[in-house]
Parts: sequence; C-alpha cells; structure tokens
Amino acid sequence: KGGTAEGLDLGAWKAVARSEAQGGAFPEAGGQEGEPSPLQASRELVEMWRQAGKLVPEHLAEDELRAFGELPTKSARKKYLKYLAIKEGHKKARKEKKASERAAKVSCRDPEMEEEPSGGRLRNTFLLQFWQRSMDALYNWRAAQAMQFGQPLVFDMSYEQHMSRREVDNTVSQLLECEGWNRRSADPFHLYFCHLRPGSAYLQELARRYGPAWERLLVTATEQPHVDLFPRDRLVYLTADSPHVLRAFDHNKVYIVGAMVDKSIQTGLSLANAKRLKLATARLPLDEYLQWEMGAKNLTLDQVIRILLTMKDTGKWEEALRFVPSRKHDGFYEAQRQTQQCGRSG
Amino acid sequence: MGSLLFSYTRTNARSICTLLSHSRPLVFLHPSVRSPVDTGAPRVRCSSTREGNKFPGSYRNSGTKWKDFPSREKPPSSVFEAGTAKRKAELFKRKEGKDLAEGPEKPRRPKENDIPSRPLTAAEWKNRKESARAPQRFEVKMMEKMLAAGSAIDVAQSLLAYVATETGTVSYELLLRYLTLCVHGNHPAEVFDMYDIMRQRFKTLDTGAYSLFIKGFSTPSARNYGDAIWGAVQHGESTTAWELYEEMVGKGLSPNQETWQTLFDSGLSGQGNESKLQSILLHMRDNQIYPGEALAKSIRAWFESLPGNRWEGSWATVETSAFPWLSLRPPMSSGVCRSCRAQLESIQLSEEEYGQLKDRVMSDVIQGRDVFTKTTPQELGSFMSFVKKRPPFDVVIDGLNVANTSSKGNQAKTLLAVVSELASQGLRVLVLGRKHMLKSSRSWDRSHMALIQQKADCFFTENISEDDPFLLYAALHSGNHCRFVSRDLMRDHKACLPDSSARRLFFKWQRGHQLVLPNFLPGQRIRFQEILSYDTIVQTHESSWHIPYDVEGLERCSYEVPKQWLCLRSTS
Repeated sequence: KGGTAEGLDLGAWKAVARSEAQGGAFPEAGGQEGEPSPLQASRELVEMWRQAGKLVPEHLAEDELRAFGELPTKSARKKYLKYLAIKEGHKKARKEKKASERAAKVSCRDPEMEEEPSGGRLRNTFLLQFWQRSMDALYNWRAAQAMQFGQPLVFDMSYEQHMSRREVDNTVSQLLECEGWNRRSADPFHLYFCHLRPGSAYLQELARRYGPAWERLLVTATEQPHVDLFPRDRLVYLTADSPHVLRAFDHNKVYIVGAMVDKSIQTGLSLANAKRLKLATARLPLDEYLQWEMGAKNLTLDQVIRILLTMKDTGKWEEALRFVPSRKHDGFYEAQRQTQQCGRSG
Repeated sequence: MGSLLFSYTRTNARSICTLLSHSRPLVFLHPSVRSPVDTGAPRVRCSSTREGNKFPGSYRNSGTKWKDFPSREKPPSSVFEAGTAKRKAELFKRKEGKDLAEGPEKPRRPKENDIPSRPLTAAEWKNRKESARAPQRFEVKMMEKMLAAGSAIDVAQSLLAYVATETGTVSYELLLRYLTLCVHGNHPAEVFDMYDIMRQRFKTLDTGAYSLFIKGFSTPSARNYGDAIWGAVQHGESTTAWELYEEMVGKGLSPNQETWQTLFDSGLSGQGNESKLQSILLHMRDNQIYPGEALAKSIRAWFESLPGNRWEGSWATVETSAFPWLSLRPPMSSGVCRSCRAQLESIQLSEEEYGQLKDRVMSDVIQGRDVFTKTTPQELGSFMSFVKKRPPFDVVIDGLNVANTSSKGNQAKTLLAVVSELASQGLRVLVLGRKHMLKSSRSWDRSHMALIQQKADCFFTENISEDDPFLLYAALHSGNHCRFVSRDLMRDHKACLPDSSARRLFFKWQRGHQLVLPNFLPGQRIRFQEILSYDTIVQTHESSWHIPYDVEGLERCSYEVPKQWLCLRSTS
C-alpha cells in the first residue's frame, strides 16, 4: 500500500500511526459490553471534537456537562460549547496576565525596597493615605441621602418570563453596573427594583452576584408594582418603541426602565406593558441628535442610567448621548441643524 | 451490513469535519453506478428570505417596500412567482451601479504555502514549514487547502510521512482531514486503511464511534440518514433503506432531495415500492415541498419505467390567461396544464381550512401572547363590532400601503383613485388606516379623505397600533370571496403562526386573495397583478400527477412558488 513515488516512502506514516495505537492513548474504557453513561459519552464526544479542531472547552465541569446534555438541538449544543470555550479562553488569558503582572511587580519592587530604608523617616502629610474605604463611605452617604430625598428611578423587573437564563444573567450584570454608576455620581437617583418577586431568577442572581452586600445595598427592592408606589401621572415609561420623544429631563417625573435584555426579537414588549397600564411613554432623542448608522436603538441599562444621570446634572443631550456606543452612530448632527430642530420641536 | 457500517464512516467524517460543505453525494464505492459528473450540478436551494430585504428603501415601515420599483421594467406577473425576488435584487444592484464596481479578479501570484503539485521529501516540507507564516498549524492548514483544491492524495501522503518522521505522531485532526480527502478523491482502498487505523488508534471509536457521533446527538441529521440510505440502496438492501427512511420521517426530519432521488432511482430497478414512492410524493404535497430539476427527472424516469399502465411524462407550464380579477369564477382556460389540458386544483381553501385559518389568525396574529403589542382590547372590540355590523366586504384595502404606491403625487389622491376605481365596479370596499390620516396635512387632504369615506367604509386605528392584522381579520371575516389590496408580503404576520401547517394555509390563502398594485401613475388605469386561480402543489387526480419543480439555477424565495411543472399521465 502507498507505493513509493520518486523514492519517497508514502506508506511509512501509517506504521507510525498504527504503532501509536499499541501505546494506547485511550485506555479500554469499561469494555464493549457496558454501555457508557450518557455523561461519559458526551464527555468523550466533546473530547473528540476538541481533537478534531473544533472550538470546544478543554475542561467541562459536571453541571456544565449536564446542561450540555439537556440542550434540545444540535446547534444549541454547538453554541453552548463555543460559549464555554470562549469563557475558558478569557479566564486563561486573565490568569496569564495576572501572573505576568505579578512577576513584573516582583522585579520592580527591588529598587524601591532599597530606597525605603534610606529615606525611612516619617513624612509630614496633610492626610493619611486615602483608602477606597473612605470613598465608599462617601458614596454610601450620598446614596442614603438619595434614598431620602433623591429622584426615584424605577427598574421594572417583570420580564423574567420573556428571557432565557443567559439573558437574565446579562440583565443582572447590567443592573450591577447601573447601581455602581449611580452610586458614584454626584447626585444619585433613588433606585427602585419593582415587581421583584421572591424566588425569581432576578433575585437569585442578584443575591448571588452581590453576596452579603445585597442586604446592605442602598436601593429599594420591592415586590410592589411601580403603579402602586407612585402617582400615575408622574410615571414615564422609557421604551425605544415609544412614539413620543423625551425632549427634556423632568426632575419631577419618575422614569421607568424595563430591566430586560432581548437577544431575540421581541418588539414592543415594554410598550405593550405601558399601554396596558396606561402610562406615558417616551424614547430617547437618538435620531434627533445622532446620525444613526447601525444597531438597535435599545441601549443597555447602564448606558441608559449614565445618560439619565448626565441629563439630571447638566440637562444637555450632547453631553448625555456621549454614552451611546460610538459604533452605532456617525457623530452628532451639526450644531446649526440641531438648533433648527430644537426650535421646531419646542 | 458491513457496507452499511462503512457508509457511516463517511458520514462520520463528514459530520465532524467542517470543511465538507459541498452538497453532492460522496462517491467512492461504485463509481460506475453514479458518476460524479451527473450529480455534480449544484442543486437549487431556496435562498433565505432575508436576501430580498437588503436593498435600500425596501424595508421601510408602512408599505413603502417596493417604492423604487422602476416602471419601465416589465413587472413580473405575480409576486409569488419563483425568481421575482432575485430579479428585484439584481435590479436594485444595477441601480446602485454595483456591477460596474466589480472588476475582474486579479490572478494570484503563487506563494510559498501554495499546494505543491508533486509529493515532496521531508526536507522540502521542512523548508516550506519554516518559511510559512504560521508554522504551528502548518500541516493542518496545508491539508485543508489540499481538500479545498481536491488535490491528489500522494501529495497529502508525503505530508503525513513528513509529519510522522518529524514528530513521531499523527494527530487526530490531521488524520480526519486526510480521511476526508480520501473520501472525496474516491480512494476506497485508502479509506478502508484509514478506517482500520482509526479503529486501532482511538478506542472510543471501538465502543461505537458512530453511536457517539451520531447517536450522541439526540437526532442524527437528515444527511446522515441520506448517506446511510444511499449506502443501502447501492448494495441492493432496499428493505434497510426503507426502514431507515421511515425512521427518519418518524423523527420529524425532512429528507434531502438527494435522498428522495436515491429512492426513486432505486425504484427504477427494484419493484414493489410503488405505494411507498407515491407516499413520498404525498409527503411533498402535505409539506409544500417542490422537487428540484434532477429529482423531477428521476421521478419522471421512475413513472415511465413502471410496467403495466404506461405512464407518459412531459415538462409543462400552466396556462395563466388573464381573467378579470373581480369575477369570482375564472374562465375555464385558466389553470389548465398546457400538456394534457387537465384542470389543476383550485387555490380556494375548503370550508374547514378556511375556518381553521380564521381562528388561527385571530388567536395567533392579532392577540398573540399579548393583545397590547399590536392593539388594545378596546380597539379590537370596537373593530370587531364594526365588522359585524356591516355586510361582508368584497375588497379590503390597506390604506397606507396603497397610498404609498406612488412616490409622486399626493398620498390621499392615490388612495382615492384606487378606492373610486374599485367602488365604480360596484364592490363593497373597506379602507383601513390610522388616525393620523384624518388630521389634515399636505399629503392627507381633508376633502380627498371625505370622498374616500363616502365611497367606502373606513376604519382608522390608533397611530401606534398595527393595521395589517385588522386587514387580515376583516378579509377573512368577510368570506372566501373577499380580496385584499396590499403590496406587503405579510411575512412578519405569517411568522406569528406557530406551526408550519398553519403557515402553509395562510400562504395559500394569501396567494389566492392578495391583490398587488405594482405601480401607480396618476391618471393611468389601475391594474392589479393577476391572481392565479390554481394552487401550485404536488397533486394527483385519478390517472395523472402534476408536480411543480424548481428549475436548476433559478433562485426561489420562500414566498415564491415555481412555474415549471412535470405532467404525468397514465395512458392505459
């Protein structure tokens, strides 16, 4: 087999490939008679895929494997493995970066260590070293003030049944960011998490992500709907599907943001909600100020809260809409046209 | 059975190797039976519906979808005819001048890591690898290139020999790609060898690689089954083939055209599967599947080979003589097969189907999961009582869609022209619109709107409500004779229907009841595209079969139907 051409032995590699078999990269697993368990079978399947050069993770935890086995379709399984592989890659890269940073620190520290004993006297300083702790105390002070006197901002947490597990996780990530940006602002909102049912996936994930800090968080998390907490005429539901444009930020209104990530296309969900409750709606003036290029007009929750915080502080849309991702638009309309538009609208 | 197993190997390699993207059946056992040339032609596939949406101005909100359709081009006779979307796409491309931008492709200069034309020695390979841009994955990349170019296996063998001597091992990935190359290049002996090696080398293959790779998924793909069936047919095991086929259909998989072709081809020689093969045709009918040209040829050949009653096949088209679209009964010559003069099935829905569709549109399209997404309960209630109070309509007009037909001229004027044309023929017209149309503006003149309201019944929804669902409901409620005027293809509403049988029903009703106004010039006579009086579907009648098929090379969108027919009749 594999005759020689021009003096080349084209069949030799087969012997190599065969001889390796005797070494036995795969041990006799369980023998022929015992059908391997489904978990073991899927683990072997993933391993063979990895060897075939597909994008799959190197290590699979037991629960991930179980989740993999429960997925209904082939494409769902492929997507899940790809997601895990990418996650694993990020984790690995982070670890490597940390290790190299640590190594760099060690090599940098040596000269400093020599320096310090030489100038070892206490310096005369105005402040003790400023720790993050002090900043946190300040932020919490402000947040506590906002809880008493601040303008309410409502996150409507009634979209759980419209989201997949991944989408709920992403929503909670965005909520965490929202709370972070709000806490660090000069004049925070009083955040309300409305419709937050006990035992809901939202609550589980929030409690998991915040840990013990969840109990101490300076936000109002409530099972009550927003329409029960505030007078209806003060409520404005922010939704990209609204026909009305938010022209100016009103300090007396209570804005509602739907806490939802929509990876499929479920248009008009929050508008339908607002219609049902007969609430006023508004959308951000994205088309009015930005030359929109691509992407959906729905923004992430943290982008929305940063826009609202800026509007609250400055009242300038040009400032606030800087938080719209720049890949989505091609810059602001020129100032001249803007004043025209504002004139027409106002 | 050994050969059957063997065809799994092929399947296996295909399912794991991403490189195998071609659709023709692999040939390696009996090249005499099926030469690669005769199956080599690409099959016509239904292109994605998204294809049609890419051009500018084609997906604007309210019925302006075909705004840019130039009037000098002869519009196709029906929007639902195969190839219309493709033609439209080309038209827009031409308009944008994209054709000019595409220059002739530059010839590539041969590079260091191009495929060698002859087997190389280890030293030569080493040289190449060192000068390559990414030496880590050089071997795999090289093998992929060979696969893409379909080069001879001795070159690949020399590469493997080099890898084996260099590293003392050959990776699974590389072996897999080589196996694929062997399968493609039709080297059965080599494939058997590889099969041996892989079985020895990887113990997991022993404990049933196939059950791992194929059963490992909850459902093997239709292609897996297709390959296995092909393998069985090639070895005369038609019972096995049919068992596999039934298993596949039982699992809810849709068989490939190639699989059907295999079965029909096998029916040429073997007898006794007549009812089964005819049940395939009925399956196509039920699922509104159209065979490709190659499959249609196989079907014809099988019918003509049947002993006893002599079948005669011919390629035909169907007469679509224009008839006054308003009369409910088309003239007899329409919908007649040009070959045998038989009348094809009517596009009209049966009483039962009609009732079903009406319920489904109400529950899934209008109400859906949440009534508030498209309308409000109050509005829906008032609309339903509005429709109930009035006698059935003959025509329902999508006001905004029709008004936007013409880019020139006033919107209300366009709508008025269409309404008065229809009203002058003594038809009961309903115009659906939104409330903003009543607010006098430059394009919505109050006097025109008053005239429209005189000539027709009107219903205006809230500005944020959708008007299309109301249109569908009103047309369905008025009865089977009621048509609707819109250029909207209603694909989003069709997508609201959860199961495919309801979608097919909707599509059939739409083809039979939608009037399309392709373009409108003020002062010109209003002409709608003709509605075909017959249904385009696989159909049988006593001693004849009529099978629509996709012409090779003609792209068809999901909302289009083929024009060509295979006419089969028994002459005994």
